Amino acid sequence: MTSFQSTIGDEEGIAEELAEGQREISIAEFFEKNKHMLGFDSGARGLVTAVKEAVDNALDATEEAGVLPDIYIEIEEVGDYYRLVIEDNGPGITKEQLPKVFGKLLYGSRFHAREQSRGQQGIGISAAVLYSQLTSGQPAKITSRPKGQSRAQYFELIIDTDTNEPEIKADEETTWDRPHGTRIELEMEANMRARQQLHDYVKHTAVVNPHARIELREPGLDEPLKFERATNDLPAETEEIRPHPHGVELGALIKMLEATESYSLSGFLQEEFTRVGKKTSESVIDNFRDVYYGRELAWAPPKAHGDRDVAAAVAEAVANKGKAATTAFSEGVAETVGSNDRLCRAELATIVENVAETVAADTGKTFGGTVRENAVDAAWRAITGTGDDDADESDADDADESPLVPDAYAVVDEATSTRKDDATVQAMADALARRFENLDGDAFRVTLDGLERLVADAATFVGEQHEATFGETARENVVEAFWSRARTVPDDPPKVSAIAGDRDAAADLLEAMRSTDILAPPTDCLAPITAELVEAGLRKEYDADFYAAATRDAEVHGGDPFIVEAGIAYGGEIPAEGSVELLRFANRVPLVYQRGACATTDVIKQIGWRNYGLDQPGGSGLPNGPAVISIHVASTNVPFTSESKDALANVPAIEDEIELAVREAARDLKSYLSKRRSMQQRREKQDVLGRILPEMADKVSEVTGRPRPDIDGALARIMNNVSVEREQNGETVTLVVENHSDVTENLDITDIVSVEPTDLSDGTVVDMDGEWFVQWKPEVPSGDERELTYTIDGDADFEVSVGGVETEKLTVNA
Amino acid sequence: MTSESDARDQLIDLAADFYDQFADGTIPEMELPTRTKSNIQYDTESGVWTYGDRTSTRSANSVRGARKLLKAAYTIEFLANQLDEDRSSTLRELYYLSESWDNDEAQFSSQDESNDLVEDLEIVTGVTREDFHMRPEESGATLMGPLLIREQTRRGEREIHCQEDVGAGGYQIPNNPDMIEFLDDDIDFALAVETGGMRDRLVENGFDEAYNCLVIHLKGQPARATRRITKRVHDELDVPIAVFADGDPWSYRIYGSVAYGSIKSAHLSKYLATPEAQFVGIQPEDIVEYDLPADPLADSDINALESELEDPRFQTDYWEEQIELQLDIGKKSEQQSLASRGLDFVTDTYLPERLDTMGVL
Repeated sequence: MTSFQSTIGDEEGIAEELAEGQREISIAEFFEKNKHMLGFDSGARGLVTAVKEAVDNALDATEEAGVLPDIYIEIEEVGDYYRLVIEDNGPGITKEQLPKVFGKLLYGSRFHAREQSRGQQGIGISAAVLYSQLTSGQPAKITSRPKGQSRAQYFELIIDTDTNEPEIKADEETTWDRPHGTRIELEMEANMRARQQLHDYVKHTAVVNPHARIELREPGLDEPLKFERATNDLPAETEEIRPHPHGVELGALIKMLEATESYSLSGFLQEEFTRVGKKTSESVIDNFRDVYYGRELAWAPPKAHGDRDVAAAVAEAVANKGKAATTAFSEGVAETVGSNDRLCRAELATIVENVAETVAADTGKTFGGTVRENAVDAAWRAITGTGDDDADESDADDADESPLVPDAYAVVDEATSTRKDDATVQAMADALARRFENLDGDAFRVTLDGLERLVADAATFVGEQHEATFGETARENVVEAFWSRARTVPDDPPKVSAIAGDRDAAADLLEAMRSTDILAPPTDCLAPITAELVEAGLRKEYDADFYAAATRDAEVHGGDPFIVEAGIAYGGEIPAEGSVELLRFANRVPLVYQRGACATTDVIKQIGWRNYGLDQPGGSGLPNGPAVISIHVASTNVPFTSESKDALANVPAIEDEIELAVREAARDLKSYLSKRRSMQQRREKQDVLGRILPEMADKVSEVTGRPRPDIDGALARIMNNVSVEREQNGETVTLVVENHSDVTENLDITDIVSVEPTDLSDGTVVDMDGEWFVQWKPEVPSGDERELTYTIDGDADFEVSVGGVETEKLTVNA
Repeated sequence: MTSESDARDQLIDLAADFYDQFADGTIPEMELPTRTKSNIQYDTESGVWTYGDRTSTRSANSVRGARKLLKAAYTIEFLANQLDEDRSSTLRELYYLSESWDNDEAQFSSQDESNDLVEDLEIVTGVTREDFHMRPEESGATLMGPLLIREQTRRGEREIHCQEDVGAGGYQIPNNPDMIEFLDDDIDFALAVETGGMRDRLVENGFDEAYNCLVIHLKGQPARATRRITKRVHDELDVPIAVFADGDPWSYRIYGSVAYGSIKSAHLSKYLATPEAQFVGIQPEDIVEYDLPADPLADSDINALESELEDPRFQTDYWEEQIELQLDIGKKSEQQSLASRGLDFVTDTYLPERLDTMGVL
């Protein structure tokens, strides 16, 4: 180490040199060094990443223009290379924007905006352009046709890797059959080993963007994969929001302070932050005062006729104002002071001010600034008993006990438990009073940190001197007691420019902002898919028996609002073997790689899925079974583990919401599964009993020598069933509906009769070409029955159908 | 005694109950007293333990219950036919016979199941198994002693003296002991013995002759016929009954079923139990007093003893004292352990001493 030290010390300007060297690293080198972070670490993955970036861009562009996305992806083999074509029906890009959007790393409109969007860093598509250029030497070929233009523009574009500047190689007009949109063609060294991931990506994109139509062609497919639209509603438009006070960091705050046009702190807070109005800004500023200036400790005014007399002290401090005015002033002050339980110096100053004004108005004597100050000083000495006047001397006899002790004793005694013996409390009050007197100035100003240190110090002192423990809880209580009795100072906060220039003050401001309760940020900057469409997306791509979805309310982590949505599809064509399929989405972008490193996976693994009816070997980990679980996190700032945006970082607030969303959807799954299970058991029971009971009935009729009894009633009762039974008595036909289940059933019964029915008990009849449809919709409470009757003339054929109740629960004998 | 046609009518009535339940649209069911030790109670009048008020329902409401009732219906038919034809069969035969029924669901899966069902039918109809003409397998339990009886056999009436007309094996108790008539006796008391070995020892030593004793071989847990004849000997000949068994919890249960009635057949306690029967031994006290060779109690023994402490039949001062003593010493002994003092010790010393203490001699 020493040798390095000396080398560095010897050479002047080494930092500048190093910085220069850094600047000289070309963008190509930068890319080469960071391609794993950007998702281009292999040919297989590079292709998927390029598709992903281009599709994300296309979806964002179309949505921003209010167009339902229609996206076409094509991958072709071209000699040793692959050619990737992505087309969208977006608004196209103007000639001026085009090279920038596709050509320059870190260009993008979204980096500074607090708004939910797919891309956030602006690295993605230009990285794909660069990757293709570096591996194949071919320029990116871009065709754009803005809406309303008759011809399209064709560009060939390369990035100058020395300057990170795009260069347009070709720029000509061309024709294109799309009325508007953008087409990008990239050639790159790649392979199709990640075909599965590619298909997953496109499929999952379709799941999470049910408003998009996507088509994929690639060499391995005989037929193009087409994903149709499930809804014609575009996602809600998102609003850009200002940062939330809970979401900024110190560096960002200082930048904002420097850049703002506001002069006052209040103005700054209200202008630059969301959810901060006048009231909130006042709370923040009060908190800031407490942190920055500290509070003033407040003391109880002396009792009447005590040693210390406020009126006398004030009167003494006033000269040449005449007896009447002096008395009015001194007694006015003393009286107002006496009406307070306790007060701080700033409050006393206000009292003196007010009384001076009143007395001046009454007597015509003016009490100037100096007089007022003297009066405040004198009154304050009288209240606290401290300071260099007579009171101090008279107290000197009392074994130099601080005049603050009785007051401090009262507070400490109240704040500590009754188990503390009096000597300890007395010693503590003594130690505290001494320390309070040593505070700078005579206003007893102290910050919360200072107060904590002071109390801790006093407690240690008491512990050492009196062998009495003053534990942490007791200390906290004492701190809390004094702090809550202290008063926020009226001093004006420093101006914005002063805070901007003072790192400590800015840190105090940040602390004040964080400790203030502030409404969560508005959520119109987020566009959740909505539970309905999450389900529609799953329904579209997975042929399952059951779907459930849940959208949580917006929450905040670090000032960025986020919404978590979850969906579950179960059964049907979803393969039952192995673990469930987990679909992860962030801002509507599927996450394909690094499943194991993702917070969503962690959350799914720690949920006890057996509770929800899924198989979970060992009771933890990914559950097994025919299920797909999809999780969507929408946020103005999705925390990823890395730039390649493959995995969500483990942020507790987000993990909690993921868990709640998944559990919400899983609860529906559970009730579906348990219902299905009970239906299955019911069916099995019905099967067995349906076999056994007729046999038993046969046997008992055989033994008793009677005809076979009718067992349907017994069967329906056993099955907690609804039974519909026909009785015909001459011309009267009756359908008896008995509900043996434990809930009220709403039935839909249609009886098709071959002759015209009359005298319906209720219900309707419709003649359909010589057949009569009699319809009832009876509501039958649990354990009750209904009789539905009509009259016919002569013989008739009947055919009854019953709806509104599961077939498993139904016994029809009609 | 129920006549054959009465028994049959009772069975048909039960089937008719099921029929009516079906016809009413209600769920067929059969109500039975709960057959657990928590639901037996002391009948002060007869001095035996019978079922209490708690009942369980066999209902067609569940697959299990429906299967039971289906089997009941088939069994009713079989028993009714059997009575019609004046034939009889054994419990084991019923179990195998169910295999021939046309319905798989009605077949018994074990003999316990068919035995239980027959007991259920006994309880519901109030007719004993014997009157259904259902026999258990021969238990092989025997009598030996100065007793002259007349037995109705299929081959006519036989008069048998249970000491003079029998071999060393004694007189074998028939399945339905109500077919026996007591003609004459010279019995002072009856001794019911658990094990065959001890019974043979007593006979070999001439204990029955020396003490005018009727030796009843229980052969383990006694069959109904053995318990019935024991009760008849006590009631009709007016002699005391003493039970001589091993000194372990299982043997106390044997005594319990002779004296108080068994849990499973508590509905027949008045007909089978002899509440006056006394327990000779081996008492836990004897293990200590005679310093008998003993085995340590196994866990299952301890559990059985503890469960006996909760059994209402054993909640007497005598049994609580003995069982607690046994738990205390942690030992059990067999009847044969008395042989450690010599082959004649049991007949010369132990039994005379014990029976004397008990006031039997």
